Amino acid sequence: MIDWLLQFFHRVTSIFRRGKLDHDLDAELAAHLELAIEENLQSGLSPEEARRQALIHFGGKQQAIEQHRDARGLPGLEVFFQDLRYAIRALFKNPGFTIAVVITLALGIAVNATMFSLVSAFLLRRPVVHEPDRVVVITSINPARGFLPDANPVSAPNYFAWREANDVFSDISAADEYRTVSLTAAQGKPQALPSAAVSANYFDVLGVAAYLGRTFSEGEDQPGRDHVVILSHELWQRRFGSSPALIDSTIRLNRENYVVIGVMPASFRLLGFTPQVWTPLTLTVADRATSARKDHDLHVFARLKPGLTLQQARLEISNLARRSEQDFPETEKGWSAAVRTLPDFLVYNFGIRNGLALMMTAVGFVLMMACANVAGLLLARATGRQKELGIRIALGAGRLRIIRQLLTEGLLNALIGGGVALVLAYWGINFVATKMTFNEAISAVPLTLDRNVLLFVLGVSLFSAVLCSLAPALRASRTDINAVLKDESRAASAGRSHSRLRTVLVTGEIALAMFLLIGTGLLLRGLYVIEHQNLGFQPEHLLTAGVTLDSARYKDAAQQASFVREIIPRLQHIPGADTVAVTSDLPATGPGSVRVQIRGEPDLPTNQARNTRDAVVSADYFSAAEIPVLRGRTFTEMDSATSSPVVVVNQEFVHRQLRDQEPLGKQIRLNVTGPTPKWSEIVGVVTNVKNYSEAPDEDPEVYEPFLQRPVSSFSIMIRTKADPNGMASDLRSAIEQADADLALLHVMSMPAVIDLQKGGDVLFSRMLAIFALLALVFAGIGIYGLIAYSVGQRTHEIGIRVALGAGSKQVLSMVLFEGLKMTAIGAAIGLALAVPLPKVFAAMFTGLLFSEPRVYFVVPLAIIAVSMLATYIPARRAASVDPTIALRNS
Amino acid sequence: MTAAKLDLLQGTLDLMVLQTLTAMGPLHGYGIARRIEQVSGDKVFLNQGTIYASLVRLQQRGWISSAWGVSSNNRKAKFYSITKKGRKQLSEDAVNWQRLASVMSRVLGMQEGGEQ
Repeated sequence: MIDWLLQFFHRVTSIFRRGKLDHDLDAELAAHLELAIEENLQSGLSPEEARRQALIHFGGKQQAIEQHRDARGLPGLEVFFQDLRYAIRALFKNPGFTIAVVITLALGIAVNATMFSLVSAFLLRRPVVHEPDRVVVITSINPARGFLPDANPVSAPNYFAWREANDVFSDISAADEYRTVSLTAAQGKPQALPSAAVSANYFDVLGVAAYLGRTFSEGEDQPGRDHVVILSHELWQRRFGSSPALIDSTIRLNRENYVVIGVMPASFRLLGFTPQVWTPLTLTVADRATSARKDHDLHVFARLKPGLTLQQARLEISNLARRSEQDFPETEKGWSAAVRTLPDFLVYNFGIRNGLALMMTAVGFVLMMACANVAGLLLARATGRQKELGIRIALGAGRLRIIRQLLTEGLLNALIGGGVALVLAYWGINFVATKMTFNEAISAVPLTLDRNVLLFVLGVSLFSAVLCSLAPALRASRTDINAVLKDESRAASAGRSHSRLRTVLVTGEIALAMFLLIGTGLLLRGLYVIEHQNLGFQPEHLLTAGVTLDSARYKDAAQQASFVREIIPRLQHIPGADTVAVTSDLPATGPGSVRVQIRGEPDLPTNQARNTRDAVVSADYFSAAEIPVLRGRTFTEMDSATSSPVVVVNQEFVHRQLRDQEPLGKQIRLNVTGPTPKWSEIVGVVTNVKNYSEAPDEDPEVYEPFLQRPVSSFSIMIRTKADPNGMASDLRSAIEQADADLALLHVMSMPAVIDLQKGGDVLFSRMLAIFALLALVFAGIGIYGLIAYSVGQRTHEIGIRVALGAGSKQVLSMVLFEGLKMTAIGAAIGLALAVPLPKVFAAMFTGLLFSEPRVYFVVPLAIIAVSMLATYIPARRAASVDPTIALRNS
Repeated sequence: MTAAKLDLLQGTLDLMVLQTLTAMGPLHGYGIARRIEQVSGDKVFLNQGTIYASLVRLQQRGWISSAWGVSSNNRKAKFYSITKKGRKQLSEDAVNWQRLASVMSRVLGMQEGGEQ
């Protein structure tokens, strides 16, 4: 091994000592011959014969020298350097060509690198926990459909049951990841922060230690000892100036004192979860009760026992889930459980995989088209270089040697392209990063040109080097030297086979462009329809703000109700405020679903129980949101805790749950949290509001009056005629007057809320549109390049045609037809490929509609227009060929 | 180029060179080549020039060393001598070769249709 290394070292160094080594060898060989001649002379040969014999015995001198060089150096590497030198010369000899190739490749690679930085950031980054693949996340599977139905949080009773009964986990913990706390620092205003309540062993299960201080210890999730808090690194920096003295000091959370025991490292971040503080999760006897089974809010993290597999854990948990289902059919019917490894779960739960797969496919196509264009350019140039290659072959270059040299040139092109692409990608990634701020979870993930992206660019560059230069290289290596060296004239048939291959490439490009454009068209149209759908309420001129009432000051429903009673008139006094309301869920932001019973109708079997969406709203909600009332009345201040319970339902509820019977006067009961509710009378019917702003679905919905069932977490809505954002500071100070320690979350206009909810759809669809346009441009350049080249090649032929009487119109249409033929074939292939797209998209993006016949009309037209334009320019040149010049030129 | 002469198997020349240097002490390239020809009874087909590729290879592996010196008839020539590492390598390779040779002769000695 050491000998081998030593030899390798010598071989490498000998490349750089070539001159001295050759000189040495020369001297040695000269000495050899002299010694041989001398010996031959001594044995009595004539001087001439002595020399002849010596030379014969020595063999070929040049061969000996070559053998020596091969033995001492790295012949492969030397040939590579030779090819590289040659390739660099060729590069500078034809700068226009080089620039075209480099720019095309750089664009293709840069869009791929930019998109790949997203893949790297969201899919490839492993959570910084101990052995992440041994940590699993247990989720509940909701029998009802909905967004990621198999990634529902788990109810507390199930967590308890599974924690106690399982035999597969060494440790199991729970986290309520989506809480909000109000932090009041020593000075300054209260601030609402996303927080997580976690069981005391949560950080131990994950295997992460605190950056400063410690994590929770056993028993700190018991009432009385639970006023301890761990801060995120970011919050510690931002709010507390990175002061190490903060540990063991007290901060105010939700009006209570908490001791800061630790700060987590900056690297501790689970994709999709953005808590700034962690507090202990205290579970009480009430959380073990059957009624608590309705509340799914715990993410269960567990560590597999050593030696056990994910499969075994799945089996165990699904058995336990089945047991829960048998024991509590009332609440658990149809529910089951899923187990995923932590990295899997985070990516799945974040729901970005489909979007990224789509984007990567699109940019992959763009790269293929870039390569096809470059391959076309190289093929065209290979024709021009046939004579050069012919001479090289005639001088003894083998086929492989020619392929190798052309591949080296391709490699050089691709690496320069890759280098330029890195610069473009750096810019592209920064651009995307500034746009990827549509929610906290997204902006928490840094986008960088990291090692993965660098490796990806290198890989893609090498791949495109092979992709674009292999076909031209193979073809060139088959150069028939007799034909090439003999052939002095530029006959029309010279580039025949070259242009056939190019025709195939360009046709493929058109097909890809067609496919991409149709896909993009369908997506954009689907998004446009959704973006412009009638939501069922008027989002413009609405200001919203989130409120979470803490349990320290607002202990019960009565206090929550009186807070709302107090602030509504205050808010009404804000100049410009027309109508003020509070609601548990802002319209079209996905209100929760509950089971509903209708008085006088038999209960359906539990697995097909009636469900309805449910929102708790204050009296003026419907007028503030401008949701039209169809029948009966809406709520008033009189619908309070002391009056008889009433509800308002939407049209869909009347249609689906009451089968269009007279709704007014009917009594229903919602299976909501808390003590068994009373029957409520339907007093009004309103029009439907979309469940989500970004989907077309409308479910049955029930509205309850806030004063009859107050909730601690709700949103304020203020209708105005002016710019809603102008009232934000008035809103803040009005709340401050009511409660100086209460923090508002997300003070923003309703359209901003909707944008936030749409997330990356808009950004992604715009990027997709850019890629599709790039594809169209590449296809256009491809056609242009091919036709222009073929017209150049056929100048002679066209000259003859014109001389024989062909008019310029005939020549024009001849060339145009050539382009049209390619376009038609390519477009047909692309259309055929695009046929299954609507189905694929519908499966990937639930809620969007992809039936837009106009796309299949507009896109082919656009492609034909571009290709006709690209063909027309060279065709004009062909039509204006002057036969006397064309014929003389050859 | 008589067909009767043996072509050298890959690696054999290196071994011959090492053995020659062990037997003869420091020698120049011509001397090594001549010696191999003589010992083989002119049965080996050797372009003398090929010896130099073998020499540089052995030298890079550290099995032989070289120095410019003066030949018996006062000519400047490069002299090669075997190193300690080279001797070790030679003894290992020689054993291997002898084993291989005996196996080959047994295999080739098999009779058609019989055990031996």
